Amino acid sequence: MFPRVTAVVVVQHGGDRLRTTLEALREQTRRPDDLAVVLMGVDDATRRTVEAQRPAHVVSLGEALPFGEAVELVARTLPDPAEDRDALWLLTEDAAPDPDALEALVAALENARSAVVAAPKLVDWDDPRRMVRFGRTVTRWGRSVAVVDGELDQGQHDELSDVLGADSAGLLVRHVVWRDLDGFDPALPVVDDGLDLGIRARLAGHRVIAVPAARIRFGDVGIAGPGSEPGGRAARRRARESRTERLHRRLVAAPVVLAPLHWLTLLPLAVLRSLRHLLAKTPGAIPGEFRAAVEVMVTPQRVVRSRRVIARTRTARWSSLAPLRMRPDEVRVRRQQAAEARRQRARGRADDLMFLQTGGGWVLLATVAASVVVFAPLVASGGVAGGGLLPLSDDVGTLWRNAAAGWRDVGGGFEGAADPFAGVVAVLGTGAFWSPSFALLALWLVAIPLSGLGGWFAAARLTERAALRVLGGLGWALAPPLLDALAAGRPGAVIVHVLLPWLAVLMFAAATSWAAAAAASLVFAAIVACAPSAAPALVVAWLVALPLSGRAAVRLAGIPLPALALFLPLIVQQVQRGAPLSLLADPGLPHGAAEPTPVQVALGQASGTWGRWDEALGGIVAEFVPPVVVLAVLIAPLVLAAISVVGSRRLRGGLLALALAILGFATAVGATLVHVAFTGERVVPVWAGAGISLMWLGLLAAAVVALSTLRWGAAAAATVVIAGGIVAVAPTLAALALGQTAVGPAPERTLPAFVEAEAATDPRVGTLRIEPTADGGLRATIERGSGATLDEQSTLASTRRELTPTTEEIATLAGNLVSRSGFDAAPAVDDLGLSFVLLGPGSEDGRAAAVEARARAALDGNPQVAAIGETDFGPLWRFTDAEADAPGARLPEPGPIAGWIVAGQLLVVGAALLLSIPTGGGREPDRRPPSRRRRRRPRPVPDAAAASSAAEDDAVTGTPPEDDTDEDAAAEPVPASAAARPTSPGEPDEEGDRRADDA
Amino acid sequence: MPTTREVLRATGRAAAVVGVAAIVTGLVGAASLLPLPVVAAAPPSTIVQPAESRQLRVCPGPLLSLADDAAAATAARSIGEPDLVVAADPADAEVAQVDLAAPDDAAGAAGPVALSAEPGAVMSGMLAGAQSQSADTESLRGFAAADCAEPASDSWLVAGATDVGRSGLVLLANPGEVASTVDLRVIGETGPVEAPAGLGIVVAPGTQRVVSLAGLAPNVRTPVVHVTSTGAPIAAALQHSVVLGLDPAGLELSTPTALPAAQQVLPGFVVVDRRGVATDEDHADGDDHPALRIYAPEGVEASASVEVRDEDGAPAAQVEVELAPGQATDLPLGTLDPGTYTILVDADAPVVVAARSTVLGPGDDPIVADLAWTTATGPLLDGATVAVPPGPGAALELANPTEVDVEAIVSAGADERSVVVPAGGAASVPVGGGDRLVLAGVDGLHAAVTFRGDDALAWMPVPPPGPLDAPVRVFPQ
Repeated sequence: MFPRVTAVVVVQHGGDRLRTTLEALREQTRRPDDLAVVLMGVDDATRRTVEAQRPAHVVSLGEALPFGEAVELVARTLPDPAEDRDALWLLTEDAAPDPDALEALVAALENARSAVVAAPKLVDWDDPRRMVRFGRTVTRWGRSVAVVDGELDQGQHDELSDVLGADSAGLLVRHVVWRDLDGFDPALPVVDDGLDLGIRARLAGHRVIAVPAARIRFGDVGIAGPGSEPGGRAARRRARESRTERLHRRLVAAPVVLAPLHWLTLLPLAVLRSLRHLLAKTPGAIPGEFRAAVEVMVTPQRVVRSRRVIARTRTARWSSLAPLRMRPDEVRVRRQQAAEARRQRARGRADDLMFLQTGGGWVLLATVAASVVVFAPLVASGGVAGGGLLPLSDDVGTLWRNAAAGWRDVGGGFEGAADPFAGVVAVLGTGAFWSPSFALLALWLVAIPLSGLGGWFAAARLTERAALRVLGGLGWALAPPLLDALAAGRPGAVIVHVLLPWLAVLMFAAATSWAAAAAASLVFAAIVACAPSAAPALVVAWLVALPLSGRAAVRLAGIPLPALALFLPLIVQQVQRGAPLSLLADPGLPHGAAEPTPVQVALGQASGTWGRWDEALGGIVAEFVPPVVVLAVLIAPLVLAAISVVGSRRLRGGLLALALAILGFATAVGATLVHVAFTGERVVPVWAGAGISLMWLGLLAAAVVALSTLRWGAAAAATVVIAGGIVAVAPTLAALALGQTAVGPAPERTLPAFVEAEAATDPRVGTLRIEPTADGGLRATIERGSGATLDEQSTLASTRRELTPTTEEIATLAGNLVSRSGFDAAPAVDDLGLSFVLLGPGSEDGRAAAVEARARAALDGNPQVAAIGETDFGPLWRFTDAEADAPGARLPEPGPIAGWIVAGQLLVVGAALLLSIPTGGGREPDRRPPSRRRRRRPRPVPDAAAASSAAEDDAVTGTPPEDDTDEDAAAEPVPASAAARPTSPGEPDEEGDRRADDA
Repeated sequence: MPTTREVLRATGRAAAVVGVAAIVTGLVGAASLLPLPVVAAAPPSTIVQPAESRQLRVCPGPLLSLADDAAAATAARSIGEPDLVVAADPADAEVAQVDLAAPDDAAGAAGPVALSAEPGAVMSGMLAGAQSQSADTESLRGFAAADCAEPASDSWLVAGATDVGRSGLVLLANPGEVASTVDLRVIGETGPVEAPAGLGIVVAPGTQRVVSLAGLAPNVRTPVVHVTSTGAPIAAALQHSVVLGLDPAGLELSTPTALPAAQQVLPGFVVVDRRGVATDEDHADGDDHPALRIYAPEGVEASASVEVRDEDGAPAAQVEVELAPGQATDLPLGTLDPGTYTILVDADAPVVVAARSTVLGPGDDPIVADLAWTTATGPLLDGATVAVPPGPGAALELANPTEVDVEAIVSAGADERSVVVPAGGAASVPVGGGDRLVLAGVDGLHAAVTFRGDDALAWMPVPPPGPLDAPVRVFPQ
């Protein structure tokens, strides 16, 4: 007597696949004896199709259930197996067996009496030559892997016999065993149900065999198994489900003592694996990772149930499964193959920029030469000082402490959020850890060459013509806002200018790459940290980029996150103060500057001069021609070229660039209207240079785009623009080279040598610095150790509009010290931890001089201070009862909130950092639009390509000149490149090829 | 041939370029011309009122006569005793009066009086003392009034002369508890005078030293004395007396003028009769005309504009003067009608100034009967006390160099008067000798007390508290 085989078919969608499957069942050489069908929310047509087969058992469900539960539901309605050999054949509507499949499976079970589960070979529905999956096993660490996964079937796996388990679709299972083992584990609904069944069967002393002769065409639509639905969301779901089930299996398979330990490691492991996801550029998998861990942690009852089932049926030892696991060398081979596949994918993906061929080398050479000439006096010195430059703290630890929320060591000290700029300074200082202040000198020396490179790379995104790329590089390296920032000693503005083109380049790249998006987010954070006044404009640009970038928006969406994380504590504190506009204040040392008029801003001048043409050559030029006219004539070629972009073919990119320029202009003019920071009696305006840099970026981009559409004369036009720009900044360059600016070699110290010597033994020694102000008052500040540093500055202090008890105490102390007074200074000196009083610097001005004389007389006649003498910085006194390492001078312990803030910021920035590390190409799918991929095809005459690329592009694509989507996609200053991307990520290659072939 | 379509397209592009250019120009123009809102805040600051300290005033002491005794021609001898009036607010504050020793007084009489109030007894500036004394001896004749000054480490005496018939005595009082070393530097019409004897004068605590100006700088017509001290601060005064022929012809006790500043105000300059020397007269000898002594300490060439205003603020005389570097100059103020004037000096470098006026005695060919030195004063704080010593025709002069009218309250005991001082003008309040006045609402005014009789003229300042006591604005960030 033959064993009775009941085919169980789970139906969800119906349609052609169901009909094919039912047809295939009818055509079996060994037909199933019974048909049991589970209908999961199907329509009437499908129901009729099924009922036409006259199934013996039908279970109708209103909703879709996991395969295992569906099978279990119908299996319960089946009569008890008459004999041991009766079997269930578990099928889905998208599993159409070959005619001899059941015969082969049954024969396999009959021949091997100890075998209870027979697994067929699942082949592709449309292309039966391809195996989808065949057999399933685990690695040594419990990861579930298919023994065969997506290979061409050339009979190479036909010797496969004993396996640990298999995918659930198409399994032939002895009915008795099915009942014994309690069917599939409901805790494993998707991926590992068949594997788990196989493992339990083997633990119960049975065998699971693979039957290569039984082939089933498998649609893999997700009724059994995870499915193969395309798209990121489905991939993330699959990753989460397989992780959940793996963790469940881990808890089930672990020895009972170790299970709680495994439970405890779930969350830490999720954290570690999240780091790996960041490095592997799969940040989307991180939420699933945690969801899987939490899901398994909160459902211990499932683990207990699964363990009970195993305990009930287990007769063999777990170690008996070991030979069936995948061998480590096989795992390694597979990993190597995956890496090789990635490399294959990455090949040719990077665009060849032709750095040397298109002027990059010359730009670098010229800007290095310019930097050396302009900063020759600095090169020889050990540091740079002046304007807003101060030394950095001497040790890296202090740099980072000043970058973290907690104690702000300025203005007497207070608890508060750090300026994100302090973080930028800390990064710079760490780079020069042996002498952090050297980082500022290095910044000054490399600012011009780095800007030139950035400008060149940004221009390379827009054009392939060497002249225009050089225009981008030189135009950016010698931009007035950069030189003004260098001359005025504004490190923040310099960094902004250096980084802006890289932000543009990275935002282009972010359309196709997670690594670039994360790097862009870090650059964005650095720029906003250095110039908060640029934040509104950058956010507007980002908001415009989001809808323009189509599906790439998901990568652009997170770009402001690190900046937000860094600024959030500051935002909260400033809003609490009721002064949100104070967030716009420039970080770093507050120091005043002349405010440019709107016309000066429009001509790119941030320093309130006419490009120093007013005093150029001793004012000779200004005598004949008004400086504004000189400057306007020299800048005019650039502006005209930029504006002419609206008449060119690349209209969209050009308009966006012009919009960016206008946004920058508005930012710069707006900056001059915000007066929220103070130093002493003076109001410090926001530096307009950051906005002007944005404006300059837009102008240069528009000019490059406009000139790139010219059929001839582009090089000549670019030369005129460059020449005008260079002559325009010549007076500023000369002033820098001749040392006529605020910036110069750093002095040896910033406080008298006497104080510095004291600071060597008492690093927190406090000096009360009293400076007479022009209005007859005085400014009183406390400096610790060997003087104020750049990293300890805080906008929370410089934008404060009210006195705090501490500053009130400082004021009272200083006011009484400069008066004949019966004031007892001892308590305040103790509180504030002071040792010295420094008066000065002196002033010629009448009222300031009067205050200085008064202060000097009062201090000289005050028995509570002892005169030390005149120093280079002014007269110095010492408090007679000052003590070293005074309690008031010590750093207080940071509060717990500060710790949480720092942890949160580290988390966000660290995640962005990990994600930004390029870990080999090819990990990310190729998301580039077809037009860019086409370009990597070798061109017949590469040199000619550069000269006439625009015209040629149109010819290649065979589109009319108006339809310049391709050009624009590569040309936008904001990454809209993905807008033209086809919707299916699987197809662009073909489409790109097709379009190229059309030509 | 371009097709119509191409021509249209080119035209459209050109129009777009022109349009955008217009928009850009419009934007820049609008940003330049439109009034844009400014977000502004004021830097945080506080005015620190120095904690109270001991208030100290030192009166110059009795008039001294030189060469009464031929045997000791250089010895000074006190004559009589001045009348002293002390005013404090509150009036019942305890004010100690201590006589300082006067070792240089050949008469051996009591020296000058130091007034002191313990911390908290009076606010700074609310303690005042003044003295007056008349003399009629062979060498001294006239009436002198002086305020009791606050000791300072740096002060300027602008008065006196040492040419024929004039003599000057520098009075240096040290009311402190430590010794003070005083340097006197005299600047005359030819520049600084080398006088090593003026350097390193040690003034013992609680004593007054007397130094003859002629001994330091003989034959100087326009001396300016710069008094600096290290150690304890010094209260300095200068006694200036004139003998014309054999007749004594006026005397004055002058206390320090306001510290060097580009703008100076001299309130209550009294002209009794209409005499004068044209302002451009280079050789204006003698004392009997109104004149301004001016000196720029920086040693630089400076120009100054001197404006003499009457009580209504109308200019009565205006003089532009170039100051030779390092020289003190007497500048005739021209012929002025009798009256009380305010002199305003506006220089392009810090200057010290004082003005001299005289009154003629009776008779057909009168000679000078008395003279007075009007010094520059600092602006008053909101309140002040004034002690008016006995004397003829006393009046409180209030000058208002600011641009708003000021209503001041002058109270003498229960008698309270409200005086409106017009912007740029001045007001005169007659007071009685011995009055103790309390002024309120006088912020920014300059004040002085003048005395004028038939043959007596005197002037004394109402000084604000020394700069060391003044509140100061502090910006602690």
